[in-house]
Amino acid sequence: MNTHPYVRAYMGGIVVPTLFLLVMMTGYFVARFILKVPEPIERVIVFPMAIVPNLWGLWNMLYARLRQGRHLPIGLHGAILPLVLAPLGALVTLRFNLLAVGPAPGEVVYFQQIHLPYGLIVLLICAGVAVYYLVWKYFVNFFNEVLGIA
Amino acid sequence: MRDMNGQNEQEVREILRSTVPRARTELRRDLWPEMLRRLDERPRRVAWIDWALVATIAGLLLLFPKAIPVLMYHL
Repeated sequence: MNTHPYVRAYMGGIVVPTLFLLVMMTGYFVARFILKVPEPIERVIVFPMAIVPNLWGLWNMLYARLRQGRHLPIGLHGAILPLVLAPLGALVTLRFNLLAVGPAPGEVVYFQQIHLPYGLIVLLICAGVAVYYLVWKYFVNFFNEVLGIA
Repeated sequence: MRDMNGQNEQEVREILRSTVPRARTELRRDLWPEMLRRLDERPRRVAWIDWALVATIAGLLLLFPKAIPVLMYHL
C-alpha cells in the first residue's frame, strides 16, 4: 500500500461526514416533511452536502502531507477544521436570509425560528471544535490506519 | 541378494546424507517475546479527558436543546 497516499487520505477523510450526512438527511426529511417542522433548511442544505465531505477529504490529504514532517496530532488537526467551516456555513446561511441578528439585542436568529444569545453561540463553537477533535482522533484516525496512512 | 540390496540401500543413504544438507529445525529467533507483546496489547481505550468532553457536550445539548439543529447544521 505505498501508492496513491493522497487518494487514500481523501477517501479516509470523506467516510465519516458522508455517513453522518445520510443520518442527518434522514432526520431532516422526517422533521420537515413528516412532522411538518416549519424551518426552510432545504434552501441551505446543499452547503453541508457539497462542501463538508470534500473539505474533510482535502483536510485529511493535508494531514497526510504534513505528517511527513513535524505535525499536530490528528485530533488537533481536525479541531481546526470547524474554524474554517463554521464561518463559511454562516456566510451561506446569511446569504439566504436564514441567519439574522436580533430583534432583541445580543442574539441571533437561525432559520427564522431559533433565537440564540451570543454566549450560547460561543459555547456551540467550543462544542463543535470538541466534536471535531473527538471524531478526528478516533474515527478518521481509524480509517487512516485501515488505509495505511496513519 | 538380500545382502546386496542392504549394501545398495546403505550406499544410497550415505550419498543422500553427503549431498542433501541437514534441515535447520531450530528457530532463527525467539518468537516468545513477540507473542507476549501481542498478548499484552490492549484494545484502544478512550482517554478520560475525551469522556469528559463527550459528557460536557451532551450536558450542553441537554441544557439547550434548541441549539441542536444549529450545531448539527454547522457540523
